Amino acid sequence: MGLEEDDFVFHGTPIEREDEIGSRKKKAVAGASGNLRTLPAWKQEVIDEEGRRRFHGAFTGGYSAGYYNTVGSKEGWAPQSFTSSRKNRAGARKQNISDFLDEDEKAELEGQSLSASSQFDTFGFTAAEHSRKQAEKERHERPSAIPGPVHDELIAPVSESVGVKLLLKMGWRRGHSIKDVRAGSDARREARKAVLAFSADESTKGSSDSLVLESEVKTSLDSQINEDIKFSETTPVYVLNPKQDLHGLGYDPFKHAPEFREKKRSRLSAGKEAGYKKPLSMKESLFGPNTGKIGPGFGIGALEELDVEDEDVYAGYDFNQTYVIEDEQPVRPHNDNTLRLTAKEHNVLPGFGAASNSDYSVERFDPPKIPKDFVARHKFLGPREAETKPTAVPPPDVSPPEDKNLKLLIDGFATFVSRCGKLYEDLSREKNESNQLFDFLPGGSGHDYYVRRLWEEQQKRGDQSNLQLDFKVPLSVEKMSAEKRGSLLGERPLQKSLKETETSASSGGSFQFPTNLSDTFTKSASSQEAADAVKPFKDDPAKQERFEQFLKEKYRGGLRTTDSSRFNSMSESARAQERLDFEAAAEAIEKGKAYKEVRRATERPIDFLAGGLQFTSGGTEQIKDSGVVDMKSSKTYPKREEFQWRPAPLLCKRFDLPDPFMGKPGTAPRARNKMDSLIFLPDTVKAASDLQEPKKETTVEEPEVEVQVENVERPVDLYKAIFSDDSEDDEEQPMNGKKEEGQEKKNEAAAATTLNRLIAGDFLESLGKELGFEVPSNVTYPEGTKPVEEDSKSKRKSDASSERRPETKEKPEEKTSSLKLGSEGEKSTKRSEKSPRNWSGEEKSTKNKEESPRNDLSSSDSSGDEGRRRRSKKDKHRNNDSESDSSSDYHSRDKRSSRSRRKRRESSRENRSSHKKHYKTKDSSSSRYSMDEDRKESRREKRRHRD
Amino acid sequence: MSATTELPTKEANLLKGHEGAVLAARFNGDGNYALTCGKDRTIRLWNPHRGILIKTYKSHGREVRDVHVTSDNAKFCSCGGDRQVYYWDVSTGRVIRKFRGHDGEVNAVKFNDSSAVVVSAGFDRSLRVWDCRSHSVEPVQVFAPFLRFTIIDTFLDTVMSVVLTKTEIIGGSVDGTVRTFDIRMGREMSDNLGQPVNCISISNDGNCVLAGCLDSTLRLLDRTTGELLQVYKGHISKSFKTDCCLTNSDAHVIGGSEDGMVYFWDLVDAKVVSKFRAHDLVVTSVSYHPKEDCMLTSSVDGTVRVWKK
Repeated sequence: MGLEEDDFVFHGTPIEREDEIGSRKKKAVAGASGNLRTLPAWKQEVIDEEGRRRFHGAFTGGYSAGYYNTVGSKEGWAPQSFTSSRKNRAGARKQNISDFLDEDEKAELEGQSLSASSQFDTFGFTAAEHSRKQAEKERHERPSAIPGPVHDELIAPVSESVGVKLLLKMGWRRGHSIKDVRAGSDARREARKAVLAFSADESTKGSSDSLVLESEVKTSLDSQINEDIKFSETTPVYVLNPKQDLHGLGYDPFKHAPEFREKKRSRLSAGKEAGYKKPLSMKESLFGPNTGKIGPGFGIGALEELDVEDEDVYAGYDFNQTYVIEDEQPVRPHNDNTLRLTAKEHNVLPGFGAASNSDYSVERFDPPKIPKDFVARHKFLGPREAETKPTAVPPPDVSPPEDKNLKLLIDGFATFVSRCGKLYEDLSREKNESNQLFDFLPGGSGHDYYVRRLWEEQQKRGDQSNLQLDFKVPLSVEKMSAEKRGSLLGERPLQKSLKETETSASSGGSFQFPTNLSDTFTKSASSQEAADAVKPFKDDPAKQERFEQFLKEKYRGGLRTTDSSRFNSMSESARAQERLDFEAAAEAIEKGKAYKEVRRATERPIDFLAGGLQFTSGGTEQIKDSGVVDMKSSKTYPKREEFQWRPAPLLCKRFDLPDPFMGKPGTAPRARNKMDSLIFLPDTVKAASDLQEPKKETTVEEPEVEVQVENVERPVDLYKAIFSDDSEDDEEQPMNGKKEEGQEKKNEAAAATTLNRLIAGDFLESLGKELGFEVPSNVTYPEGTKPVEEDSKSKRKSDASSERRPETKEKPEEKTSSLKLGSEGEKSTKRSEKSPRNWSGEEKSTKNKEESPRNDLSSSDSSGDEGRRRRSKKDKHRNNDSESDSSSDYHSRDKRSSRSRRKRRESSRENRSSHKKHYKTKDSSSSRYSMDEDRKESRREKRRHRD
Repeated sequence: MSATTELPTKEANLLKGHEGAVLAARFNGDGNYALTCGKDRTIRLWNPHRGILIKTYKSHGREVRDVHVTSDNAKFCSCGGDRQVYYWDVSTGRVIRKFRGHDGEVNAVKFNDSSAVVVSAGFDRSLRVWDCRSHSVEPVQVFAPFLRFTIIDTFLDTVMSVVLTKTEIIGGSVDGTVRTFDIRMGREMSDNLGQPVNCISISNDGNCVLAGCLDSTLRLLDRTTGELLQVYKGHISKSFKTDCCLTNSDAHVIGGSEDGMVYFWDLVDAKVVSKFRAHDLVVTSVSYHPKEDCMLTSSVDGTVRVWKK
């Protein structure tokens, strides 16, 4: 190409071709004619009406607009007319919508789009649109105070449609219905005018004149109102109701109080017609006498102006006083329109006129006549005891009388009366009229207390037999205690086996935890059946029930019996009494002499109540018993368990204490933690479940034993447990009732072990057994007793706790501390001396009383369990002792001794009470102990791993 | 008996100001001031001896159940229905920190001796220890069942009350246990009382724990052995959280009753030495002056009374 160009020589300027100049135009024309459309898409160009190219490629400038493909200026994007707004801010040019519109859009905006011409605009839409646009245009020309297009949409200029025009031409006037009613009214009006003129002529009668005038106006108004009925709604309402208030648009202050809208309207109309018309006085009927003055009421701030909506609704607003204020009316050109308007505002609905005098009054109805035989009390059909009985108010809680004997007497008597019925009270009142002791019955001193007691007793026996109908009182309002919540949540599932007619109501105080699983282990079916078969308290179903409950809990192996569950409702003495009955009955059943014994048991209270004088002594005895029982039950309660607990290092730091687990050799506790959670989960779960059930077990405790057996993690302990069984026995404190039982157990164990030996010929095992045998043979029972070691063992099932404090260290410290104690303060010594006095003596007697029957009951089956348990221990042991080296053996023995010592302490704690307070100097010894213990633990850990 | 005369049974001042029930009234460390808190979501600082309201602390969103002042009287902590433990500055009245973490209402708070941590007892069955020194908002230790690594077993029900000694954290729970967490030993000792424990307080010699149970009984436990030393009865405590405490000499046990009475028992023989009507309604809190014979009682009736001998 370059070569060819070189060949040409140009002279002069080439003549521009004309078509080149007009090419753009041509192009535009071509585009318009559709030539361009034939081109492929990439060759098509977008051009404006002048043929300029509107779109460029990305590299040639993109979309272009304005001057030379720039915006407005040759130079580019600089504003065409820059005026600093700094100096003349007000003169800054406001942007307009037309600045952003193209010509075609502008044209569209001008209304050049396709629309019905005004000729055929029947409904006036186009005209309205047009006028709207016109208005907009005007608005653009003179900027309005209210920015934005809002009001344009709201206030549309009215255009007249063809129909309206036609109607107007036909004589119709705005706001009227199309019906031809004007003639009549006009005629009437003319007539009236004539009358007026006539009367005006007779100007002599001044007063009558005004009267007539007034009447005329009135009638005209009336006629207007009548006419208004026929008024159509052709004109939009907002024209008639210009916005005059300062409310927000669309805000209706009377939205929820239409009465006040009426009021307002009437006020407005009154303002308009102030010359001759008073506002309707509907408010009188609404508010009654206008007493209240307007004042800043609720909800109106001091700085807020009182507005219409702030009218104090409750104060009785007097509109007559204020309507003058608001008399700025919109001036309406058409007078009749105004009239019509006012009249219309009284209309609630088209076609209805407002009554001139409001006769709105609330229709009152007489209250229904109550039949004479009507009793204002609801009777429930169902036999709900609580409601059916006349609800006697519970007598006030009176403090017991000072005299102890009297108190006891009253207590016992109340119990008995509640049991036997009011009849007995009457009887004894008669009988003991002269007796000083029974002064409280007719109302002497202590009567209040007696009433209270009686009430309590009856409450307790609330829902049983129909004996004391007249005394039945509904249970006091049941509060949601934690236990109740628990029971509601079903946290005592195994209780369901009982017939809970009574317990559900009265067992608010029962403290039970979900895991009564032990029942399944402990319940001995036979004795249960026996108890079921024999119903010693047939005559008293509730008592029978309680008795069954008692048996159940007893065979579950707990001392914690019904008294806990009935803590709320039963008095101490009653419980004690009942309990003794139960014990006796249970014993009797067990011994097979059921009937005779039971009768004795049931008749017992009657026996001791037979004579009036005997009663007191019986009462005291009873009370003592109750105290004993209570002591015993509470004795089981503060039950201590110990667990290992690892405080966070930071916690120790914050408490300024050394971390007990920090200076440990190895990472025993850490490893332990993991292992615990992973491997020994069942064990921990068991421990948890044990924890959960509140310690009911003292004497016979199979499940706890099971737990201990399962404590595989401590083979040493196990070993020791096997061998130290008997060695510790000899050191236990004497307990009379236990002797035979313990012996029996031992025999059982011996049988089991020999059996085991026969089965497994392991030498070590037999050695162990030998040891086990040897020890009992050497045993000397100092007081000829052997305590149930299972108790004490079960008390600490967690072995972790067992090695806490070696006793050898502790003992001397205790002594010294007790010495110290003497000097420490009078009070504490007093306490430590006194507390033993309180229960050490009694305790023993209770133990004897309470546990002997139970042991008898349970020994038969527990002994079997015993054997099983031992066997299982042996099995475990067999697994373990293969690797138990001499050191561990030594260790175990060492441990064993310490353990037995501990046990001794444990058991003796119950009896020996002089060392109540161990003012141990734990601080000094603890670290040493923990170290010691830790070593043991790590060793145990290792062994476990080997397993 | 001379004992009755040395008991604070005469009303010295009536502190009025709380709207609604006052849930706790506590002396500060030296006993010159008292903090009360209540259902009106405020904590009030009083001079109980002159009966003057000094300051009102508002920030809680729910009722405030307990409050405790540091030993240096510079800070205090409070807790309540809004599941948080608030750590306040006494003088400025501002909340220094809020400890979040409890899943339920918090029933009690206590500082330790050095005021380095706050221990809170919650409805969520946990005791939580919060660090006041570091800026971490995580509890130092949660005494909760889900953390089996740090604790072998803990409360089974709402923890109602907490008491701290130098080396131990003691919590009383509705599950009937008083659990002692010995930090030095790394042991947890659980004393099961069989009855829901409402309030615990420790004797001044540190050897006994007094536990108020919901069976209208106060139980005195030996801390070392877990033995039940004495039982105090006579008052009513069945459904409300009523406090109990011991006098400074440990000679008497004081317990509030739900009928508005305050009972004094002899520590040793458990006799009711004195009782008087302190309030019209439930006595929610009883707290004893750290040195003098002076007592604060608060009640549901919205008043706090100061009693002196």
